[in-house]
Amino acid sequence: MRRHETAWGLAFVTPIALQVILFCIVPVGIAIYAGFTNWNGLSGRQDFIGLENFATFLTDKYFWIASGNTLVMLVPIPFYLFFGILLAVGVHRGTPGSGVFRILFFLPYISSIVALVVLWKWIFNYQYGLVNQGLALIGIQGPDWLGDPAWIKTTIVLMIAWKLIGITSIYVLAGLNNISETYYEAARIDGASAARQFFQITLPMLTPAIFFLTIIGVIGSLQTFVEVQLFTADGGRDYSAATITYYIWQKAFGSNELGLASATAVFFALVILGVTLIQFRLSRRWVFEGE
Amino acid sequence: MKKRSAAFALITAAALALSGCSAAQPAGDKTITFMGWGSPEEITAFKTMISQYEHKYPHVKVDYITVPDTDFATKLQTMIASKKTPDVFYLQPEKVMPYADAGLIADLSSYVKNNEVFKADNVWKKALDMYRYDGKSPGKGAVYGLPKDIGPFTLAYNKDLFDAAGITAPTDDAPWTWDQFEAAAKKLTHGTGADKVYGSTPYSVESAVWSNGGDWLNANHTKVTVTDPKFVDALQWVADLNLKDHVVPTPAEQSALPDYQRFVDGKVAMMGIGPWNQGGLWNDAKFNWDIMPWPVSPATGKEAIWYGSIGLAVSNTSKDKSDASNLAAFLAFNKDAQQTNIDKGQAIPNLVDMAKNNYLKTDKAPANKQEFIRIIEDYGRRATQTYTYNSDWFGTFNANVASVWKGEKTAAQYTASIQDEMQKQLDDGIAQQGK
Repeated sequence: MRRHETAWGLAFVTPIALQVILFCIVPVGIAIYAGFTNWNGLSGRQDFIGLENFATFLTDKYFWIASGNTLVMLVPIPFYLFFGILLAVGVHRGTPGSGVFRILFFLPYISSIVALVVLWKWIFNYQYGLVNQGLALIGIQGPDWLGDPAWIKTTIVLMIAWKLIGITSIYVLAGLNNISETYYEAARIDGASAARQFFQITLPMLTPAIFFLTIIGVIGSLQTFVEVQLFTADGGRDYSAATITYYIWQKAFGSNELGLASATAVFFALVILGVTLIQFRLSRRWVFEGE
Repeated sequence: MKKRSAAFALITAAALALSGCSAAQPAGDKTITFMGWGSPEEITAFKTMISQYEHKYPHVKVDYITVPDTDFATKLQTMIASKKTPDVFYLQPEKVMPYADAGLIADLSSYVKNNEVFKADNVWKKALDMYRYDGKSPGKGAVYGLPKDIGPFTLAYNKDLFDAAGITAPTDDAPWTWDQFEAAAKKLTHGTGADKVYGSTPYSVESAVWSNGGDWLNANHTKVTVTDPKFVDALQWVADLNLKDHVVPTPAEQSALPDYQRFVDGKVAMMGIGPWNQGGLWNDAKFNWDIMPWPVSPATGKEAIWYGSIGLAVSNTSKDKSDASNLAAFLAFNKDAQQTNIDKGQAIPNLVDMAKNNYLKTDKAPANKQEFIRIIEDYGRRATQTYTYNSDWFGTFNANVASVWKGEKTAAQYTASIQDEMQKQLDDGIAQQGK
């Protein structure tokens, strides 16, 4: 009987395990190796060149511009957490009109990102866009959202926040549903106000969900790519919108420097790993671990 | 039961045969994969050409894959890495050197000398030369691709707007100078806000720089020369068309509305176009339009502009190299295929005799088709970045030049600030080739 179960278990696990090995472990291994070579992605020739690639990108001005831009992509995280929680609490209580909000905010998450970018390109079009037309009504000439180095990052950050509010509220909603009604009953008997209930019960009980959202939010924001590629040509004027993933893509497929791109990718993966570990360490201070 | 299934099979087979579906293919049939990108019009044109090919060579089936141009390089390189390179694929001239050095693309030299589709001396020499490479420098030696097209970039104008402003377009023997161009553009610019009509879309930097006697690189493509006054003056002149004269849309307006759309909306009078724009303009332009020679720099009195091209390369690992080469040759040179290009307004024929007869004799716009031919035969040049192994230096120039268009830096300040970085990238490219 037991052996039978093991066989079944293995049978179910094998496809996933194979998938992880084939599409995760093997490519990562190849990337690590390629990072130490001068592979151009075209020929089979791969000469070992040690740490040269790492020196190359660490002294490349554009790598640092891209790094700075990537950090900016983290800016929307508190905003979408805040509005996501607000939305979830509203929907949870069944506020009138919550159905409309649900659609409005979930729509971006289920739509194709390419379609969204096209939509945003129109909304933020300098001359014909909704935003600048609206601003013109009150006599303000809106900025060049997509062309100006100072504004293109704002546009991308706004879009990321808008896109992620929906998914945030789904997770928060799940967290809300998990909070036992008994806490609130007890609080009410003790005469706690609604605000007090929220800050003393709801918010602490939501911290695991919020923690999870910051982890995936940080990783996702650091990997911003499609928006950059679709909003801008060549990473934007003066490389103003290019992120590290964009830099990696451009080196790999634009300049045929796959070795250099791999080295950058490996470095970047280590940075993300480091950031995530720090988040986990910090989480001990504020995440509620359960009764 | 058995009877019924037999009848069913018979009917199915008959239906397949009737519908022209090759249910019973003769042995030895081949499938050639062909990967490209293009506008919807270009894709339709190629579908037509491919069916013409399949009709002529029934033993070959073509699997035509189209990828958006922004994804093309990524997709192609992934396919190369996984050893699934398409048999025939689009290749930009600037990639001929790295691809040939990596052994990815077939040397088609012997094929160019001897084949059933075309005579090599009836092909634009400049078009074939885009794909020549002798292992050291481009433009000489073996042929590594056949030109899909040769695209001379010309200056189109809205005839109705010209007439309304009382302007006559210049002719080949009497081209405008920059000053005359500026004066005409000023006359054509009028209106405000969304109704504003501009004289011209952004002027071709290549045309200005080359016409003024400058270039991005020196003659043997080893030194960046953008701080040369001839280069700087030309760049500043292009920028001043917006900054001082206000006859071209501002950078923000340019990003708001693509040049092409602005032109077909009748909101700009002059715009650079290539032969690939003809078909689109036939449909979209609700006014009379034609093409004219590029203005000349007052310093030299000479015209200058680039011609572009995309090549059809054959994979070195293709199992059917001769059929693949034959497909490339058919798409590039077959008379029916070239006629399709004329009919769809996609390209001027690669075959000289067809360009000078069939193409020139068509009655659709532009009337002055001869200008396209003149650029190829006379003053057209291949872009400077197609001479270097890696065009990162050119990308860097373009990615940062907006500060000049916006007037935040003068052309002199900008070129001085970027020269060293461009030189470093050019040196890197030269070193890459050596490896």
